Amino acid sequence: MKTPEAEKLFLENVSGLLNEGIQNLDRSIQQRLEHARIEALKSDAQKRAGFFIPLRWTMVGGFATIIAVAAGLFFWLPTSPVVFPAKHIEDLEIITSAEHIDFYQNLDFYLWLATKEDSLKKGKTS
Amino acid sequence: MGSGPNSKEALSRFLADIERRAFKMARFASGNADEALDLVQDGMMEFVKRYSDQPQEKWKALFYRVLHSRIIDWHRRSFVRRRVLTWLGRGDAEEDADDRLLNLPDPASPNPYDQAVHQEERMALEKAIRALPLRQRQAFLLRAWEGMNVAQAAFAMGCAEGSVKTHYSRAIHALRGMLEDVRI
Repeated sequence: MKTPEAEKLFLENVSGLLNEGIQNLDRSIQQRLEHARIEALKSDAQKRAGFFIPLRWTMVGGFATIIAVAAGLFFWLPTSPVVFPAKHIEDLEIITSAEHIDFYQNLDFYLWLATKEDSLKKGKTS
Repeated sequence: MGSGPNSKEALSRFLADIERRAFKMARFASGNADEALDLVQDGMMEFVKRYSDQPQEKWKALFYRVLHSRIIDWHRRSFVRRRVLTWLGRGDAEEDADDRLLNLPDPASPNPYDQAVHQEERMALEKAIRALPLRQRQAFLLRAWEGMNVAQAAFAMGCAEGSVKTHYSRAIHALRGMLEDVRI
């Protein structure tokens, strides 16, 4: 069983040797690592700039315009007048009465008949 | 955005600080420098794309999570490729073909003396680390080299903390066994 001190020393030595190994990397490898880092940083810059490209702004602007127009139409246009089928009180009576519809279609005839009967009654009494 | 908390400079410093260790880890996993460089580059790109807006204290764990995910994907692909090549009757002779070249000391190195002294131990250590199973190697490198705690390593590896402890303990035990004859 190794003591904690021995294990600590072992790990320190291992870490030291590994660190030495990366200090002496081949020059071409160092260059390729640097290139990889630069490429990664470029992609980060593109990602950060991505929001400011014109196409993105055009899309955002277009969407905002559509929303604004829709809201304007909804709030500012006068509400359409309610078209009530019964314009006059007589029409309302027709709608609400229980009479058969044929009666109203021949209403002129019945009105004429009523005036005739009235005149006949007046003639008899006079 | 240059002065923001996650500025380009901070991201550049983070990647520069981490890239060599990341390369070495990918190198241990793939056994090939070119594959390792591709893995690191892909990992950097994906990390930047997905996580550069995250708080900086989370970057290390997030980066290694991405990198280890890439390494596992690479292992799956290479396993299938090896099976196909074996089935076709072609071995994997090109695997590790560049190991000896990469392990030679760099004459332009600023520390040739240190290299000469430690090269044998370092090569033995790297060989032993490479011989570890993937998950043990990941747990060991993240904990012992990258200095992550158990929770961070578990997040980076995408597993439970208990698994990290088990893999780490087994890795140390295995390394001690393999390096018994080496003065480390």
